[in-house]
Amino acid sequence: MSAYLTLLTPMTDQESLVAALVDLGFDLTHIEIHETPAQLVGYQGDRRVQTANIVIRRQHVGTASNDLGFLATSTGYQVFVSGYDHPRLGAGWITQLSERYQVHHDAKMERLAAAERRRLEEERKRLVEAQRQAVHERAKKMGYRVEEKREGDKLRLVLVKRSY
Amino acid sequence: MRLNVARVLPRSAANGPGDRFVVWVQGCPLACPGCWNPDTWTFERRDLRDVEALAAEVLSTTGIEGVTFTGGEPFAQARALAQLARRVRTRGLSVFVFTGYELTELTQPQHRELLALTDVVVTGRYVDAKRTSGIAWRGSSNQVVHFLSRRYGPESMLEAGALEFHLGGGSAPTITGFPVDDSWRHPFDGLG
Repeated sequence: MSAYLTLLTPMTDQESLVAALVDLGFDLTHIEIHETPAQLVGYQGDRRVQTANIVIRRQHVGTASNDLGFLATSTGYQVFVSGYDHPRLGAGWITQLSERYQVHHDAKMERLAAAERRRLEEERKRLVEAQRQAVHERAKKMGYRVEEKREGDKLRLVLVKRSY
Repeated sequence: MRLNVARVLPRSAANGPGDRFVVWVQGCPLACPGCWNPDTWTFERRDLRDVEALAAEVLSTTGIEGVTFTGGEPFAQARALAQLARRVRTRGLSVFVFTGYELTELTQPQHRELLALTDVVVTGRYVDAKRTSGIAWRGSSNQVVHFLSRRYGPESMLEAGALEFHLGGGSAPTITGFPVDDSWRHPFDGLG
């Protein structure tokens, strides 16, 4: 039986980690995601004490391999890799994985930031439209005509009434 | 020369005829009860602007018809405003001034200097009990519009913008002009 080694990583985002694993050659359909950590299995079918949230079963890791697992912790995923697999999936591989993770994580952060910017912009537009409607309604009640002047993303509403 | 400024608005159609660059000066000795701009009463330094730089800012604003001085009390800084007025008038812009003084009170040389460069001046204290709407450019009925040049006349008051809202642009909405009643002070309460 090949014992598991535990490698600590700072990676915390599941989506980016899975994308990084795919980049390093694992088929997405072979990557199991478990909300509750699942027990890992050794190459002879023996159940191990280690559990993981992301699991790649041994037949998809390599001949005579053990399950490869990633356990989510508050400080980052812990990687469980067997001593047998460690020469191939050791520190060098973790470095490659981390680099791919960072690329996906950066892209995800940018996507989220862009989505937040869009949300705020939509919210701002809705608020300006509500303010515009409020001005029109009150102006109408008080007998004012409203002249609208748009300058870029700014809107000027001038209330005019024939005066002397 | 420097001017103590409360704020500026590069384009407004509710502070005199046409689109105007509006300068609210800081400091007013009159402190009319019910004034809509009490934050401009104190003479403490707020935003000291170099007059030449401010003139350049005004002159770089496209499509405006003139400048409006309000406040605060413009005649409390008459000399600096006269310098600004002179600079913008040479480029064809008109000068409009709101003052809380009566014309007969503006007797000092610097007052006369600014008046000589002014096209329209609206004079008189704001009197809350005489608050009115439907008369152009005045907040209370005792105030008087004086046309000091031939550039404007009473006809320019007929379709005057009374109140103006500036919305969007990533900043809080601003209101300028002559609100009819207190309910216009916070017109967007409840909108979020």
